[in-house]
Amino acid sequence: MNTWVILGAIVALVLMRLRKPSMLTWAAAWWVAMFAIVRYGFTVPVPISVVKLYMGLITAGLVAYVLTDEERIEQVCQPVLAFMTQKRFQLPLLATMLAIPALFAWSIYAGMTRDPQAPAFARTVHPAPPDEITVHDNTVSIGTADNPYRALEETDPEAFGARLANGREVYYANCFYCHGDIMAGEGMYAHALNPIPTSFQDPGTIAMLREAFLFWRIAKGAPGLPEEGGPWASAMPAWESFLTEEEMWNVVLFLYEFTGHRPRAVEEHH
Amino acid sequence: MKIPITLQIALLAVGMTGFYTLVGQAVPQKEVHPPEVIEVAANVTTAELVEIGRTVFEGKGICQTCHTIGKSGALRFPDLQGIAERAARQRPGYTQLDYLAESLYEPDAFIVPGFVAGMQPANRPPIGLSDVEILAVIAYLQTLGGAATVTVDTKFVYTGGAREQDAAEAATEAVADAAGSEDEEPSDLASGEAAEAEAAGDRAGGDDG
Amino acid sequence: MSQKRPGVLLIGLGVLAFLAVIVGAWRLAVTIDDTMAFRAPTRSAPAVAETESGAADQGWTPREQALADEAAAQAEADRTKPYVEAEYRAVPRIGSRVAIWVVAQLHLLFAAFVLAVPMFAVVVEAIGLKTGDKRYDDLAYEFTKLLSVSFSLTATLGAGLTFMLIALYPKFTNYLMSVFSPTFLPYVLLFFAEAAFLYTYYYGWGKFGPKLHLFLGIMLNVVGTGIMFIANAWLTFMSTPSGVSENGALISTWDAVSNYTWMPINIHRIIANLAFGGSIAAAYAAYKFLSAKTQAERAHYDWMGYIGNFVAMCGLLPLPFAGYWLAKEIYAFSQTMGLTMMGGAFSWLFIIQAVLIGNLFLFANWYLWLAMGRIEGAARFKGYIWPLLVIVIACFAVWATPRSIIASTEEIQAMGGSSHPILGFLGVMSAKNTAVNIIILATFVSFLLYRRSNIIKTTARGAGIVKILQGLLILASAAIVIGYGIRGYFVDAATRIGFSVPQVSSVLFCMLFVTMLDAYLTRGAQATKTQWGRIRPISQYVLILLAVTFTWMMGLMGYLRSGLRLHWHVYGVIRDTSPDAFTPTLGYATKVVSSTVLIFFLMIGFVFWLAGLSGKKVGAEEEEQADAVANSTLGFGPAGAPATASASNTATASAASPPPGNRP
Repeated sequence: MNTWVILGAIVALVLMRLRKPSMLTWAAAWWVAMFAIVRYGFTVPVPISVVKLYMGLITAGLVAYVLTDEERIEQVCQPVLAFMTQKRFQLPLLATMLAIPALFAWSIYAGMTRDPQAPAFARTVHPAPPDEITVHDNTVSIGTADNPYRALEETDPEAFGARLANGREVYYANCFYCHGDIMAGEGMYAHALNPIPTSFQDPGTIAMLREAFLFWRIAKGAPGLPEEGGPWASAMPAWESFLTEEEMWNVVLFLYEFTGHRPRAVEEHH
Repeated sequence: MKIPITLQIALLAVGMTGFYTLVGQAVPQKEVHPPEVIEVAANVTTAELVEIGRTVFEGKGICQTCHTIGKSGALRFPDLQGIAERAARQRPGYTQLDYLAESLYEPDAFIVPGFVAGMQPANRPPIGLSDVEILAVIAYLQTLGGAATVTVDTKFVYTGGAREQDAAEAATEAVADAAGSEDEEPSDLASGEAAEAEAAGDRAGGDDG
Repeated sequence: MSQKRPGVLLIGLGVLAFLAVIVGAWRLAVTIDDTMAFRAPTRSAPAVAETESGAADQGWTPREQALADEAAAQAEADRTKPYVEAEYRAVPRIGSRVAIWVVAQLHLLFAAFVLAVPMFAVVVEAIGLKTGDKRYDDLAYEFTKLLSVSFSLTATLGAGLTFMLIALYPKFTNYLMSVFSPTFLPYVLLFFAEAAFLYTYYYGWGKFGPKLHLFLGIMLNVVGTGIMFIANAWLTFMSTPSGVSENGALISTWDAVSNYTWMPINIHRIIANLAFGGSIAAAYAAYKFLSAKTQAERAHYDWMGYIGNFVAMCGLLPLPFAGYWLAKEIYAFSQTMGLTMMGGAFSWLFIIQAVLIGNLFLFANWYLWLAMGRIEGAARFKGYIWPLLVIVIACFAVWATPRSIIASTEEIQAMGGSSHPILGFLGVMSAKNTAVNIIILATFVSFLLYRRSNIIKTTARGAGIVKILQGLLILASAAIVIGYGIRGYFVDAATRIGFSVPQVSSVLFCMLFVTMLDAYLTRGAQATKTQWGRIRPISQYVLILLAVTFTWMMGLMGYLRSGLRLHWHVYGVIRDTSPDAFTPTLGYATKVVSSTVLIFFLMIGFVFWLAGLSGKKVGAEEEEQADAVANSTLGFGPAGAPATASASNTATASAASPPPGNRP
């Protein structure tokens, strides 16, 4: 919610109330205030279709309010009548009468000349992986496999460090052009790509995935991704053509090490 | 100039109905067409079967009325994202194919924990898919988190094939079927699932009444 | 002179309509589809023969030969033409579906009216009998006068519907008949009984003893309800069949009758008929009020409009609950059907319905607020109107907020999906249930204020405590409704659905207890006079808008109930293979509904006009004076009886007797 807009609308209404406005001004003020709140009072803007719906309801409410009381009708009708009949309002009246059709014409014009919009599609960033993949004649079960070298972290820190060093080399030799030097998805080529390279710093990416999932994405890249979730035009290469299985597991270790994220554990199924 | 009352009322009625008609035009307009007849040739490849399955899934099978793909939150029916992977281990003693087949032919036999029974058998009206259409749907479901393996000749228990492990079925129907013996803990499984199947049966019975 | 203008206008319209029907029928006969089985196919123009074989033998020219050959072939084809049972026949231009749709909807609207009018005619008559107030008896008679014409129109439309079903959907109709043939005889017998009771009730007014007459009225209701129950069995069977095998073979007629949605539809329709009939009667009164010439007439029709609206509100308040039950049974029958209704093809229909229901409540409240103008003591409650208005509008807004919003690509990107991060909360069931319960409570409070406005001084003991108790009850009920509404966001779907029960029951209990307390409070209280007729004319237009909205809503919900079957005649049993098997867009459906509603209002206008005629005597102009005097002694004359100013004083005097609406 956009607090300032709402507060502003309320304060304006309160200030107005103190000055005891005529019914017409009061109703118009309410309409404007409600419009401001509905249209600009939300941090995420409310779609036009809903704004129209709400404003229609508010208009109906205001009309019902005015028409329920003789005095209010009088207060609303009098200025309108005066505007339409008195001589001193002749010019503004003429302007209004011209403005109304002009407004319609403008809204039609605006509607007709609007830029065409691409249809929206939803893309699944992390599609469901296949059961198992074959990398270098070796079958890896994505559902259950774990990084074969993850255990070294506890049992043999030295060997683990060596693997991390290898992972670092692999990353900066191959990945960083797109995924960036701090893994924020801002490599030098990143801006030419759509969809943009994944930022591993984002807690919504590798922190939510298991290492085998990363292994699958690295080994197989964009080609042959499952079709669900709309078209996919990622430029990620299938790294199995360039790297050994070991190197790919090492770079996965390095990704987690560098970003400080932990991989998601294999879920226990009973 | 005073408008006659009858005319006033007529204008009012026309105006109000006109307004409601306008509201009717403002909402999304969608025609729902009856499902088209799908011809499945005898020699389709698995890839073609997947495509047919997708068409059935989205159209005639009306699966999307209840099921989603890739949604989370408070769902009334299980989401099918990654179903191929889950199907293989959802029910002990069931292969992926058997599980998928059973969920389509006998949806009440096993209810995913956290959900309530409510699906209608896909092979009976009002859905009324043919066996080969169901096979195509299975092929499509296998691509959700896996790869399609079935071919047009694949048989499963409902189309004259054999189920690999049939413990629950055997226990509920009291048919002496030796197929259950391969299981690691046949007795436990059988009794547990028999109870579940029975409960499902009760529910189905309740629905009929 | 000016009085006659609507009449002349109506006659002109009637003549026009008659001519239109004749021309339409003629055009239909000329352009009727050739595929209709009972018509020979039109012969195409004889083609010029190209072969000359055998022509020389008989000295025929090639053309003659070809013509002869063709005639022979035609004769042979005619002789051996196989008999094929037609599955469907088409209506040109609009199609069979729309033809059936419109006729069925008109039949249902009239049937609803015919069932509803006796309901409150009898209640009003009973009140008149108990209180001895002649006005009630006159009012009941005035309602009943609308009945006989409506009854014959209903029957005509029903017969038309049946013939159209047989002609246009022969195979399906045949199937339905095979399932329900045992119900036909009771139906026909009940129909005879209804005609008998209706006409004795109507023509026997004032001629039988009051008790006997009331009994006739009650029997009329019982029989009418029975007819509706039987007809409901047929149509609910189509949506939620039971008692038949998968292939449609009949197993048990009783099971077919008492299918899942039979009872819910019965109850729902009884209540909805009451609301609908009340609103139509109120619209009739509004029309009479607006065209009234004298104060006496105005007072009478203001009162009639009030009663009609009161009846409509009594029906409207429990209607959402009956609707819940119906929806629950649909889910119980088939989750798929339930989800098609709420989440699938028809989910946007409920946004339209939300606009309609919101309007109904808004209009109903508005009428009550305007009606306070006729009560002296109402001024002190003026301050309560705007908070109530805010509540009604806010609930309306919540109810109309869609779950998936129509939005452009940019808007969808900004929202990160098709539901808004904040407004999305208003799109779900918890919010909607809460909104509808609160709006019902608000309407009830409006009504309570209306009732209360003419009480100056209460004589009941402990009035202060009772008032506080009433306030607390309403607040508590609102708190329960909102509390459960909020909790609904934190529990799973199954528990959430269960929450609607405490919400609904708290509102119902609140209304019941508060009304009881109010009855205690107002007993023997000192009241001001309700000045019937002293109401702003705009209120009468509100009544007409209410009637239009009610009718339109019945049309829309009828489409929903019928459309839910999708491409089935009998869901899951008999497939619809006609060209109309698809489900049209909502935009198309609303156009058909609107046309039907307008036709209905034309027809009911005709009924009102006829009823008005029956009140007039021959040579009305000369007898006006005599009439008016007679009316003034009776209190009020029949509808449309012109009363002169001389009569108005007496009439106003009787109009100023205690307000009828305030007697529970």
